[in-house]
Amino acid sequence: MIKHDIVVVGGGLAGMRAAVEAAERGADVAIVSKMHPVRSHSGAAQGGINAALGNEAEDTPEAHAYDCVKGSDYLGDQDAIEAMAEDAPRQIIWLEHRGCIFSRMADGRIAQRPFGGASFPRTCYSADVTGLVILHTLWEQLERFGVKVYEEFFATSLCVEDGIGTGLTAYNMRTGELELVSAKATIFATGGAGRAYAKTTNGYASTGDGMAICYRAGIPLMDMEFVQFHPTSLKENGVLLSEAARGEGAYLLNKDGERFMFKYAPNKGELASRDVVARAEMTEINEGRGENGCVFLDLRHLGKEKILERLPQIRELALDATGKDAVDTPIPILPGMHYWMGGIATDKDGATNIPGVYAAGECACVSVHGANRLGGNSLLETIVFGHRSATHAANYIKSVGDVRPAEKTYKAERDRLDGILARTGGERHPQTRKALNTAMSDHAFIFRDDKDLAAGETALRQVREMAQKMTTMDKSKTFNTDLVGLLETEFLVDISMPVMMGARNRTESRGAQARTDYPDRDDVNWMKHTLMHFQGPTTDPKPDYSRGVTVTKFQPEVRTY
Amino acid sequence: MSFILDIFRFDQATDEEPHRDQVECHIPPTMTVLDALESVKAETDGSITFRRSCRSAICGSCAMNINGTTGLACKTRVDSVLRSDNTVAVDPMPNFQPMKDLVVHMDPFWDKYTRLKPYLQPADKDSDHALERRVSPEDMHKLVAVANCVMCATCYALCPVVSVDPAFAGPAAIAYAYRFIEDVRDSKRKERAAQISEDYLWLCAHCYACSYCPKHVDPQDDIIAVKRATIEEGLIDHPGPRHALVIAKTIKATGMLHETEVIQGTVGRFNIKGLIKVAPFGLRLAMAGKIPPMFLKPVPKVNEIKMIFDTLEAPVLA
Repeated sequence: MIKHDIVVVGGGLAGMRAAVEAAERGADVAIVSKMHPVRSHSGAAQGGINAALGNEAEDTPEAHAYDCVKGSDYLGDQDAIEAMAEDAPRQIIWLEHRGCIFSRMADGRIAQRPFGGASFPRTCYSADVTGLVILHTLWEQLERFGVKVYEEFFATSLCVEDGIGTGLTAYNMRTGELELVSAKATIFATGGAGRAYAKTTNGYASTGDGMAICYRAGIPLMDMEFVQFHPTSLKENGVLLSEAARGEGAYLLNKDGERFMFKYAPNKGELASRDVVARAEMTEINEGRGENGCVFLDLRHLGKEKILERLPQIRELALDATGKDAVDTPIPILPGMHYWMGGIATDKDGATNIPGVYAAGECACVSVHGANRLGGNSLLETIVFGHRSATHAANYIKSVGDVRPAEKTYKAERDRLDGILARTGGERHPQTRKALNTAMSDHAFIFRDDKDLAAGETALRQVREMAQKMTTMDKSKTFNTDLVGLLETEFLVDISMPVMMGARNRTESRGAQARTDYPDRDDVNWMKHTLMHFQGPTTDPKPDYSRGVTVTKFQPEVRTY
Repeated sequence: MSFILDIFRFDQATDEEPHRDQVECHIPPTMTVLDALESVKAETDGSITFRRSCRSAICGSCAMNINGTTGLACKTRVDSVLRSDNTVAVDPMPNFQPMKDLVVHMDPFWDKYTRLKPYLQPADKDSDHALERRVSPEDMHKLVAVANCVMCATCYALCPVVSVDPAFAGPAAIAYAYRFIEDVRDSKRKERAAQISEDYLWLCAHCYACSYCPKHVDPQDDIIAVKRATIEEGLIDHPGPRHALVIAKTIKATGMLHETEVIQGTVGRFNIKGLIKVAPFGLRLAMAGKIPPMFLKPVPKVNEIKMIFDTLEAPVLA
């Protein structure tokens, strides 16, 4: 049995920030991750991280908070948003002190670029590899503090004894053994679940592991219907082209070469918030002004020098996938599934309804993003709430005695995995994954209505029946990615119904939820979060609307860009 | 249209020897080798095993040998590597122990980083700075190329020096040492140079195999910069730097490589033991009538060569 005071599940930005904080506070901390930390999908974040440093223009945390609240379409909890905006400059300075390679202004301060929905140039960056440089900085700090990493350990379930979190079970991919990992506090930082959709900017590893594990253990998922579709993903493979392109001045064009965004956002144009831009693109495409189902991202006027200096990665990604060089050709793009505003319901310290269980980063829903996240806030959320959850957990563990090893949970989980490996005859899990992807992409996309969502629910009920019988071909103990893939599909299936049901129940349009049958925001009835409680693998979740939105100083207003 | 993936198969727990499977794949060849592997895993054989995550060349997971050359499967289009017999061969990276199919044991590679103490070590305390440490865009720019390294180990797999001496740090770790050596915020330039020298920096033969970098980090340039830094830090009491410096010295002085002096200079003029060790080599050269001359007459206009050295401010043996 493995035993630590604090175990962090996930080695991306939120997980590593949490682990470093716990280590600096002297806690015995370890990371459990299904891959090496530097492989985490945080590294694919390109454009930057927001903080009101005020280096490029007068800026304040209050202005940052206001932009987030407006961006969230007033669904974000304002106390949490204020805490994040206020902590942001401190966390950026901390990262810089630890060696992060930020792009600089002529006077040596951290450079900042404009981003969608932001009142000022607030996004700190490193060319278009910001996630990667922060990922490396945090991994360096793991090396510095000697934090133990259980690498290629796949978390399968949360252990709860007497109502308290006591760690988790994890499948050691190298040996094929299930391990019991005991901990006084467990922090989930497992990222998003983009692989529920057919086309996504997310990597293969974004399978909602932490969300599903916590959900099954009795922690509600919150605001899952709010799924962000990024305005600029490549048609060929769904790969992301950073918002930094538009931050640096790129245009969006329809097939007639028209900069269409000013029709939809007269003031901000291309730099409106992502939900607005994604809807505008889909409208252009649906009304026949797209080409092969795409509109165009045009960088040509930025000039080769600026593209190579500030946006080299996206130029190469577009070149690899399409054969088109953004230096002299507009790139066909379309909205692609990108980010989960929803997730494991937490308070602003990352704590859940189960003592000793925390969540931070994309897998969590604090909520700071509400109905729509602003670009540059996801990296910020990982750092701020990774830090906050570890701070809280480090205090919490002082009040807890030795936890009882969850032998029963461990044995049940081992039997379950053995049972899956022993299954024969049924369909293999990639078929279930495909059916799930189709259901989500067809019914829970940008524009939604009741009829479509009802059909989506029916489709998902069929998918979850399929999921009970999935089989693997690989029965071996060494690095069984076939089994891991099956377990990931189970996770994705579990967290998808909360999306579909949440979207159907919410009879309004707010942020990323655009209902064609309810086109307006309804502040009278819907200034509240959606909570979904797990009722079993083949039963619909139980919705719960008891949690209202926390409003401090920003009253809901009409939202235009 | 279909093609064949010719896949290395091995399970360390059960197999004495690897074997190969030929699996038909039905995706358009404009897609990537990773897409092809995903497709055959989903459609044909779920036990085919490889690492992958981002499929956009930023996570570094899917480095493997494709038709004998290491690269990222997600960045390699099938039609760019498809052989005339309509196959693509995929193998685990060389210089690593295979675990299962295309998955290898990466730990020796990560250990090379750990030895570097790979984290910023400034001279002052963080708490001395209320705001960021100021760094000019030019100074930060030196780190930009290496900041793009995704630690995929392609260069490490391609490195012939690693293949003969696994203790060699390898190109990726040396580039990461460069990342700190050239960081104006760091205070351990000399210690870092010493550590990387101890990790056999000077074994690098400058073959430029590592210039085949999927992320254009081009560690071969960083390796030269790190060697230069070790000389600047005075860490020259070692055959590696002595060899480099004495070659430069003889060329500067004569316009030619003065082999006799190079041998003495590399081994050390007063290193009697070392000289005795190379004596049989000298004798064999003499027997073969290939003994280089003791004294070299400088080439005409040797002053112009001296000028080149002075212009470049190239270090030479004192």
